Amino acid sequence: MKNTFRGGVHPISHKELTRDVPLRVLNAKGEMVFPLLQHIGKPAKPLVKKGDEVLAGQKIGEADGLISAHVISSCSGKVKAVEKRRVQNGQMVECIVVDNDGQYSRMEGIGVRQDISSLSKEEILRRIREAGIVGLGGAGFPTHVKLSPKNPDAIRYVIANGSECEPYLTGTDQLMRSQADSIAEGLSLMLRLFPNAEGVIVIEDNKPEAIEAMRKASAGNDKLSVLAAKAKYGQGGEKMLIETVAGINYPSSMLPAEVGCIVQNACTIYAIDRAVAYLEPLFTHTFTLTGDAVKTPGNFIVRDGMSFSELIEAAGGLKEGAVVKKAIVGGPIMGIAIPNLDVPIQKTSSGVALVTVDQSEVAASIMTSCLRCGRCTTVCPVGLLPQMLADAVQAGDLERYEKKLYGLECIQCGCCSYICPAKRPLTQTFMRTKAEILAQKRAAVGGKK
Amino acid sequence: MNQTLNISPVPHVRDRWTTMFIMRAVILSMLPATIVGIAINGFHAFLVAACSVVAAVLTELLFDRFAKKPDTWKDGSAVITGLMLALTLSPSVPLFLPILGSVFAILIVKCCFGGLGKNFVNPALAARCFLLISFGTLMTTYTVDGVSSATPVAMLMQGKAVNITKMFLGVPNDVIGSSTACMLLGGLVLWAMDIIHGEICFSVLISFTVFMGLFGGQGFDPKYLLAHICGGGVVMGAFFMASDYATSPVSKLGQMVYGIIIGVLGGLFRVKSGASDSFSYSIIIGNLFVPLIDMFIYPKPFAYTRKAIAMRSGEAGAKKSLKDSIPKPVVVLTVIALISGIALSGVYAMTKDTIEAQKRAAKAASYRSVLPDAASFEFDDAVEEALADLDGDIYGTNFGRAMIREVVIGKDDTGSIIGHAISVTSGDGFDGDITLSVGIDSNGTVTGISFTELNETPGMGMRAGEPAFKDQFSGKTVTQFILNKTGGSTAENEIDSVSGASTTSGAVVNAVNAALDFYYSVVKGAM
Repeated sequence: MKNTFRGGVHPISHKELTRDVPLRVLNAKGEMVFPLLQHIGKPAKPLVKKGDEVLAGQKIGEADGLISAHVISSCSGKVKAVEKRRVQNGQMVECIVVDNDGQYSRMEGIGVRQDISSLSKEEILRRIREAGIVGLGGAGFPTHVKLSPKNPDAIRYVIANGSECEPYLTGTDQLMRSQADSIAEGLSLMLRLFPNAEGVIVIEDNKPEAIEAMRKASAGNDKLSVLAAKAKYGQGGEKMLIETVAGINYPSSMLPAEVGCIVQNACTIYAIDRAVAYLEPLFTHTFTLTGDAVKTPGNFIVRDGMSFSELIEAAGGLKEGAVVKKAIVGGPIMGIAIPNLDVPIQKTSSGVALVTVDQSEVAASIMTSCLRCGRCTTVCPVGLLPQMLADAVQAGDLERYEKKLYGLECIQCGCCSYICPAKRPLTQTFMRTKAEILAQKRAAVGGKK
Repeated sequence: MNQTLNISPVPHVRDRWTTMFIMRAVILSMLPATIVGIAINGFHAFLVAACSVVAAVLTELLFDRFAKKPDTWKDGSAVITGLMLALTLSPSVPLFLPILGSVFAILIVKCCFGGLGKNFVNPALAARCFLLISFGTLMTTYTVDGVSSATPVAMLMQGKAVNITKMFLGVPNDVIGSSTACMLLGGLVLWAMDIIHGEICFSVLISFTVFMGLFGGQGFDPKYLLAHICGGGVVMGAFFMASDYATSPVSKLGQMVYGIIIGVLGGLFRVKSGASDSFSYSIIIGNLFVPLIDMFIYPKPFAYTRKAIAMRSGEAGAKKSLKDSIPKPVVVLTVIALISGIALSGVYAMTKDTIEAQKRAAKAASYRSVLPDAASFEFDDAVEEALADLDGDIYGTNFGRAMIREVVIGKDDTGSIIGHAISVTSGDGFDGDITLSVGIDSNGTVTGISFTELNETPGMGMRAGEPAFKDQFSGKTVTQFILNKTGGSTAENEIDSVSGASTTSGAVVNAVNAALDFYYSVVKGAM
């Protein structure tokens, strides 16, 4: 095993703002909004209607079909409405709005330690599914689906992703420091699904405390190991983790499971442990509130459904006179900039950075022609040639983009745009072009039918 | 909080490096060489650099205005082009040259092809070649204390000793950016900062050195190789010109191939051609290969390499055969480079003999014309020895840059000596060397002169070849001629200048005087 991957960039981490701030529980007041689509796949079907009473931990949305996830209420109170609301990615999504009574009365049985020594594989998967767990790294892929590959015996590595390579975010770091045992237990539970696999916890070497804690927690189990990876943005990507741990590169047409790997975020693994060993569904998660506009940046355990603006207020508000230019949810390189703060925090919101300077705006103002300096090529973790891809797009040669230059392999990690001294919008170009090519392909398939 | 926040596509943070930062770093890294160049060569060198930079920036500014494009002159790339051009110029060039060169570089090579990053050859080098072709003598005249002299590389190629330490630190009889030490310093800093690609710089230097070692004729003599690396802008070329982003390949492998093409061509030109400026041409030719290299050599994504596929199918550590590890394009390009190299040398080798034969024939004809009564020409051992002692150096101190080439003895049918013919070359011609033969009979009387090489300005210097001028020497028995610039000479030893061509006339008179001096001091003694 080497301890890094090819490519990647070294942005200013800003983690010092919050890295040593312990997790603190934040409760919300007022209405809570639960989007029925917080995951990849089909939206959940609402199980409640206006006027119904709900409890914290209650399932209020039912997974619809195979690739979908339940939606869990994080508070107790009365359902105010089931209506379309704006969510963090800017879309209007059907949401269940609950009038929070502030009691947080829980469903019975939640949080009670279970005997997990003799659980069957099916039971483990069932509990994960019932808890509505999705990938908390940001993508939100339903976890029980990911844990059910065609051939579980072929899985060689279950990788716990504790790299947290995005700047600003420190929630996972704090969770690993404080809940190392639980994460190790969650990883062991997953290994029961894959008899031939070993568990590797990947943590960037800028988190020595977390590495230490996880090493201690996994010391008794020789199927678990901790890998201290070089701190570099991109490490948390699935492809890069697998390259780091297994030394394998695979194309976009393949799934990680097909090369014998399963990757789960450390926060997701914690949620798995809570779900399986404590029957506690996913309705709280770690969250980093940070940025130069925030008065007291910190790490929190937040309840899904509360709005960003309420969270910011509850956490101490903004610095005096600070004018927020941009609010970035989920890390400033691959995260989403939200147009206003009155949208609900959802399962995949790992943190928000409120910044007073919009670097994208600055970048656009100093953009020049491409210098052909080749920095984008050096940092691309997939081994693409962004500069040539951009030329192909400009020339309108999608054939060359796709076939000769493998443009569909782009994972939109943002490294090329980040590093470009000419400030070309490379990642954006590739996102658009990929969507265009895939739409054309779908149209061609549809036409044949 | 109802304010609307900024939204934008990812990423929301950017690296601190900007285009302008990179340009500034490159400019700064060229400054030591510029400062040393000005310190060695004086104020005029500063004026050359200033004119070049200002002209480059102004040209880009005017182009932007005229073409209604956003102002791009601020990014600093025009400054680099201007400065780079200045560093490749002789410090004594008239100021219109750097201005003209910069306008050419920016307007034609850069802006007309789309501006920053779109030029297909290095603008500064293209401008330099343009100037070399258009103003050959001005561009290749290096004056030290009012006396023109050869560049270290030119001397090196004539087989003369050079001072490597001086060449390393910077010399006055070379371009403004002659300080290899400063160039190396700046280049290494850029490389350490990861601004330029080591793949290019080092493959240029290494392949050039290896080529010179193999074909330079002196083996891997470190002194000889160092002298070649320190001269003729090799280091400047490798670090500052070959590494130009716009005109170098994208992939690491391609960059190495490109570097090797430049290094080998640079070596080939230096071994086979007389021009000490040949490195400029090798980089330009290298530039032209770039689209071809980029078309063939670019890496596949990591997941599509042979090794990755083998890893996935379980053949961990699958053996790589040598054939697999060298991509086909490399083989193809190497073969192309080899073939073109061999072809070039072949053409040279074939034409070399013809050129030599023609020169010999011309010389023989000129000997016959100055000693028409001679039936055969022979060499004299004692004279040959004296010639060898001269070692092709400039002869004496009073004859400008005159060099004694050859001395033959003319004999009649019976074998008795009837006179000598001396071939002299003067480097003081207006447009290049002048070579002539002087015939002297056994009484010391000049029987005539005949030109074998005369490339002066038609209608002016060229008229030195007309009887009106050259017949003035015939039939005179003197030890020295004097040039009369005003005309109307009466004295035996006075020669009327060709009107309007006193430089050429002076060179001819000096050459004849050198021949006479050699005749009286050496040849006569040997008889």
